[in-house]
Amino acid sequence: MGEIILEMKQIDKSFPGVHALDHVDFAVRKGEVHALMGENGAGKSTLMKVLTGIYSKDSGSIVYEGREVAFHNPREAQEAGVVIVHQELNMVGHLTVAQNIFIGREFKKGVGIDDKRMNEEAAKLFERLRIHIDPTETMSKLTVGKQQMCEIAKAISHDAKVIVFDEPSAALTETEIEELFKIIRDLREQGLGIVYISHRMDEIKVITDRVTVMRDGCYVGTLITEECTKDDIINMMVGRVIYEDPKAKSRVAPDAPVVLKVEHLNAGKMVQDVSFELRKGEILGFSGLMGAGRTETARAIFGADEKESGEVFVNGKKVDIRTPQDAVKCGIGYLSEDRKRFGIVVQKTIAENSTMASLKRFMKGPFIDKRQERTATQAYVDSLATKTPSVDQLVVNLSGGNQQKVVIAKWLIRNCDILIFDEPTRGIDVGAKNEIYKLMNRLVEEGKSIIMISSEMTEILRMSDRILVMCEGKKTGEIAIEEASQEAIMNMATREIQV
Amino acid sequence: MSQGNNTAVHGRKTLVQRIGGQKIIVFLVVVVLFAFFSMMSENFRKTSTIIQILDFSYYITLMSIGVTFPLITGGVDLSIGTGMICYALAGGYLFTKLNDPTNPNAMLALVAAGVALAFGILIGLLNGVLVSRMDLPPFLATLCTCMMTRGLGSLVANNSGVTWPGMQGEGFRGIFRILIPHEGGRPTIFPLGIVWILLLVILMEFVLKKTKVGRYTIAIGSNKEAAILSGINVKFYHMMAYVISGFFAGLAAVAYSAIIPTVQPGTGAGFELEAIGGAIIGGVSATGGSGSIIGSFLGVFVICLLKTGLPFIGLQANWQQIITGLVLIGAVMVDIVKARYKKP
Amino acid sequence: MQGMKQNSLVKKIGINRIVLCGVLLLMYALFCTFIKGFFGTARIMNILNYAYFLGFLSLGVTFVIATGGIDFSIGPVMFCAALISGYCLTVHGVPMALSLFISILVGFLFGVFNGYLVAFWNVPPFIVSMASMNIAKGLASVFTKTQSVSWPQAADEVNGWFRGLVKVNGFPTGLVILLAVAVVCAIVLNKTHAGRYILSLGSNKEAVRLSGVNVKKWEMLAYILCGTLAGIAAIFFVAAYTTVQPGYGDSYNNEAIAGCVMGGTSMAGGTASIGGAMIGVFIIALLQEGILALGFNKNYQLIITGLIVIVAVYVDIVMRRRKN
Repeated sequence: MGEIILEMKQIDKSFPGVHALDHVDFAVRKGEVHALMGENGAGKSTLMKVLTGIYSKDSGSIVYEGREVAFHNPREAQEAGVVIVHQELNMVGHLTVAQNIFIGREFKKGVGIDDKRMNEEAAKLFERLRIHIDPTETMSKLTVGKQQMCEIAKAISHDAKVIVFDEPSAALTETEIEELFKIIRDLREQGLGIVYISHRMDEIKVITDRVTVMRDGCYVGTLITEECTKDDIINMMVGRVIYEDPKAKSRVAPDAPVVLKVEHLNAGKMVQDVSFELRKGEILGFSGLMGAGRTETARAIFGADEKESGEVFVNGKKVDIRTPQDAVKCGIGYLSEDRKRFGIVVQKTIAENSTMASLKRFMKGPFIDKRQERTATQAYVDSLATKTPSVDQLVVNLSGGNQQKVVIAKWLIRNCDILIFDEPTRGIDVGAKNEIYKLMNRLVEEGKSIIMISSEMTEILRMSDRILVMCEGKKTGEIAIEEASQEAIMNMATREIQV
Repeated sequence: MSQGNNTAVHGRKTLVQRIGGQKIIVFLVVVVLFAFFSMMSENFRKTSTIIQILDFSYYITLMSIGVTFPLITGGVDLSIGTGMICYALAGGYLFTKLNDPTNPNAMLALVAAGVALAFGILIGLLNGVLVSRMDLPPFLATLCTCMMTRGLGSLVANNSGVTWPGMQGEGFRGIFRILIPHEGGRPTIFPLGIVWILLLVILMEFVLKKTKVGRYTIAIGSNKEAAILSGINVKFYHMMAYVISGFFAGLAAVAYSAIIPTVQPGTGAGFELEAIGGAIIGGVSATGGSGSIIGSFLGVFVICLLKTGLPFIGLQANWQQIITGLVLIGAVMVDIVKARYKKP
Repeated sequence: MQGMKQNSLVKKIGINRIVLCGVLLLMYALFCTFIKGFFGTARIMNILNYAYFLGFLSLGVTFVIATGGIDFSIGPVMFCAALISGYCLTVHGVPMALSLFISILVGFLFGVFNGYLVAFWNVPPFIVSMASMNIAKGLASVFTKTQSVSWPQAADEVNGWFRGLVKVNGFPTGLVILLAVAVVCAIVLNKTHAGRYILSLGSNKEAVRLSGVNVKKWEMLAYILCGTLAGIAAIFFVAAYTTVQPGYGDSYNNEAIAGCVMGGTSMAGGTASIGGAMIGVFIIALLQEGILALGFNKNYQLIITGLIVIVAVYVDIVMRRRKN
């Protein structure tokens, strides 16, 4: 390990209602692989976005190669030698590998572009990385892993001195990860500073030299990887005091009827052979890290995406759900993690959104009975304590928590008995969170059943009667609430790999 | 090591892969269509028919070359058809006004062509600004300019037809067909235009594949976000796609005027379908990102063969409009189905 | 209290619709002042004749634009409907009532064709429009063997009655019918679940789909309504102008779309106004009459309409940007 090449000191950043980064320190040395870890929402990505100029910092300083810097956009950072290899790849699918690597700075030959030279240069880069990719291949034909290698090659071609890998292994196969690690080790030897963001504990042990852990926007500490155990890191990640007592005991009778049974569900890479049961009056927590396949499972059950195989039983009866329409007919409602895109129609009123799934009930002959629509909506606005002057308010004018209540009302008006809540409190302030929790408890008391997908450990432990853990598209465990602990869940949610 | 599927990636591309499967299929369709019509009709087999097909293909091909650029960006240019007529009227009007029949001046034709091109570039620029700077949906912006150029063309020409001066094979008309005189017989026509068209196709294929303009056109249609993040001046290159389209509509205007005796105001609607249809049959994706000039060129011939051939087998010429429409939708549907299969 | 009430009335009608109404009246006043003999029933009748068919086209396309799509095949489809039904009437001797039905049926079938391709196949709407525009022209030409068709005059004893759809003894029945259909359209758009879903899916299709709504069906319905209304527009076109020629009709696309977007329907989908579209249509019709009266020809109309659409859509884009 060499001298410090990049140092971020006392970085502070707030968004409306959220203190995203609270005076965070972070330093990278030349020739080290530095892991940045933390639960979802701990502030890792925000920190990296501040570094590359996507966000501006509120206070603090960034020192790079001995000089204080402030990049205004990723391009500036890139030109200075700080490059992020993103999880979502920024590639032009219809161009070739070499054309992508040199886009925006093509070599010229006369009036035209010198593709031959670009291919040669790209080949040299790949040689340096010791990987085999044909520079003339069309980008969209490569696997995600290979595309990522191209991103790395592009980063190196910019003379990068610091490369940030943002969950690089999420979409890679075992062999691809092997190849990636080989490259990273090479880069380390060449004296680059490498930041490695990942959820996979074992990778951290294998590839990194130091680990910095963040929690709730704060810096927790930095460890030397060799000297610590997996449990040490997990303890630092989850060491939060849980203010709300976790649920001590399941409230569901062991013989409560099974309302939803899913068997051997398969849908692409993100849902592999998932089976579980949901009982009446139960809150089944779906835990796991980002990209574990929980949302995909929910969408496949709901018919929002195609499923390849698997059987779904509602109240003991086998059902064939192909579209959301079928799911709604079976009494399943889905509250999406991305409200704005999948939950609400922002330019419409609360009443219009609330009755979206059950408009037929509000018809008087061919017409919508707007009075009845308003009355029914008002009833839910009252009982869910939605804060709004009237049901004719446009949903766009509501806060996140209240928008969420509108979506919940939509499913309650539809009389859905099985509710899938996907990150129900994401982007919602603490007060509104508690209201949503109370509401969920009330719903199960009324005999509804809830699947709650959540990335927040506290939420999972506080609300669930039973917890199902997923990792990389597979169900990795099921824990009764009585036996659940943060460590146990985190253990199941992080994958073991052999490298 | 997962070298299993790597070898496939590394293997030399076959000739078919290099040229592109779709282009070969389209070429075969052209051949089959030609063979079919030749078999069905004796008259179709004549040289004069082939010349006729070529004559009508020039301006459609030129428009198609141009419109390939906006199509690849994920947009469209609907103004090329009426636009072409407008530019031909503008250039021709000037030509006839300045032309002195007793003292023909070869330079005048050049000036007239220049005016047509300038008009084309201007409307292309307008389209480009509307789409790239003002964010209007491309089909809407160009639908408006389509109607506006129709009005403008009629106004310029005072609502009457315009005949560019000169006879077949003479003056600027000689650019597209040369008459080789025979002693005591009718002269042979040599369709010189196809040579220019082929040269232009090669040139524009080069522009599309080997210059920044072309490369960024593809990038914009394929992943605009990535193009912006790569520091490309996306607005400029987006606009350029429409300028190129306008410029080629201007060229098409010259070719049209050379082939057609009289340019009539108020016409031109429908040509854009033939040009766009040709491009899409030739492999330009309706959602942008991919395509080739050679493909568009071949696609146009499918349409031109249908257009010329159908009357020979006893179908009214208007059937061609219907069939072109259906073929266009069919081509897009094939594209959509293909994309569905490709998705893992 | 009084102020509040007025305010809510203004809100209900919509400030831009009131402004638009003002523009319409102002334009009329200007034309009357500056053009000799513009004031009078003759001109009004001309304007109305133009507004009838354009009104139906605009009503139809409003539904499609509300879904976030576009249909610029309506003009040629209208001509196709008028030609096919007219040809049936004049050449094949099909009874008048049935001919009128055929006209509507042709429009309906084009709507089904367009809607099916857009909703179920995800073919981009502009491609579908472009194709069916040419199919409509080609079909009309093939069917009529490229002959124009003249519908019977009012004096025709057997078939003249259909002119009563437009005018009876100088009374503009067409206006009554158009407004009645507009009211029905407004009710469909604002009071029925069809309209609710059409508007909602124009705003956020995925959210509506995830609410368990069959979005494909409703999206297709919008195109069917649009086609059917183009079929109805055809009847009013021939009742006012008698003769139709194959190969034309595309200039009306732009005018119908212009009326629609001027009236406050957003190209981005999700918001639509039937009342606004009606006022917009009357402005276009008045403009066309004014331009003719000023001694200019139809070409100016084409250019001005194009500019109107560009400006109206751009204003909408800027307003939306400011909101976000």
